[in-house]
Amino acid sequence: MNSFLFYFILVPVIVIALLGLNLFFAQSKPNEEKLTTFECGFSPVEQARQKFSIHFYLVGILFLVFDLEVLLLFPAAVSMNSISQSGFWILLFFLIVLTVGFIYEYSSGALNYTNKDKES
Amino acid sequence: MTINSTINSLLEALIVIGPLLGSIAYVTIAERKIMGSMQRRIGPNKVGYYGLLQAFADALKLLVKELVLPSNTDKILFVLAPMISLVCGLLVWTLIPYGKGLVIADFSLGIVTILAISSVAAYGIILAGWASNNKYSFIGSLRATAQLISYEVVFGLIILLVIFFVGSFNLTTIIESQKAIWYIVPLFPIALMFLIAILAESNRAPFDLPESESELTAGFMTEYSAFPFVFFFLAEYGAIVFLSTLSSILFLGGYLVPGIESNGLMTGLSLGFKTSFILFLFIWIRASFPRLRYDQLMSSIWSKMLPIVIAFSILIPCIVKAFEIY
Repeated sequence: MNSFLFYFILVPVIVIALLGLNLFFAQSKPNEEKLTTFECGFSPVEQARQKFSIHFYLVGILFLVFDLEVLLLFPAAVSMNSISQSGFWILLFFLIVLTVGFIYEYSSGALNYTNKDKES
Repeated sequence: MTINSTINSLLEALIVIGPLLGSIAYVTIAERKIMGSMQRRIGPNKVGYYGLLQAFADALKLLVKELVLPSNTDKILFVLAPMISLVCGLLVWTLIPYGKGLVIADFSLGIVTILAISSVAAYGIILAGWASNNKYSFIGSLRATAQLISYEVVFGLIILLVIFFVGSFNLTTIIESQKAIWYIVPLFPIALMFLIAILAESNRAPFDLPESESELTAGFMTEYSAFPFVFFFLAEYGAIVFLSTLSSILFLGGYLVPGIESNGLMTGLSLGFKTSFILFLFIWIRASFPRLRYDQLMSSIWSKMLPIVIAFSILIPCIVKAFEIY
């Protein structure tokens, strides 16, 4: 545990020290052109923080559901030897409910990335 | 706490970090050398004998490069993001057993800790994309995040399947339970899917969509220069080495040597050989396969791999229960 604490402190210290070394050795001559946002040689147009595809958001929500499922399964995985027959059937029921949920998600088209369905 | 034990702890921490950074450096050389051979080039061969010091030369070059902080970035987050990535990438190594009892933190919840720390590493990428205030960085970080969290689901479920056999989260217990047979034999299709999942987790080719060169410049790393860039680079290659180590622990018996009751140096060498083999697979795959399209990437995880893994997660508890494995 003690070594773990040391490691925990040592890693950020090393990272900050490396950054400090870089600041110490490197020259710093900023000018206006150098500090502009990179955009393939153009002056930047429009805001960078703009609208993005809803699919990324949808993936986030799906991840939340499935990761929670994995989280709930972890205690069951380590206690497979101590849960009785009824505990096992409850685990199986949980998994089957999840499968049904997944089939619903799949057939509702939430996992479809291209817009083929909407066009046809 | 006596001074002796303090020095001991410090040495233990340094013994892990030093060779770790060295191995990351040599993975980059190995990649360039192997890719060179596969494409009938020589690869780097000027710095040091046979190009062996190339990585250190690169690091030194980047050490004297100017650290550019673009004017419309969020300065604090911009510098903090690569540091979060690297710190998380290095912290997970405390939990890896290099031999029986040769581990810095022998937590009983080892695997869960690994999952937790590697999830925090995703914040580095999100923050980098947001703080850079650049369109390429923004799109790159969105893609990287979506890819990371999608494959995290499959990654977690596959680890869960192994846990069903072991009945413990402790990494040493997972390795010791493979004395009879490595888990790659009973769980072969799962092991293959784990290989695909870790390729995507570490943003490697053929899943390197976040920084596909021709589309997004360098993805979320576009605005970074000098050492913050090195941090991202180290974190990325550190993740590759770590995930190879993890898969050799979960499926290839970690430090075990088949047929021999080994300890000391042999255990470390055994883990090293298995990890190097998977690292070589990583590079081989990069040299062989073309990049996927983004919608192919997403549909391959959500509508191909996930249903199979869910099917296995129903099958394997049933097998464990039916045969009373414990």
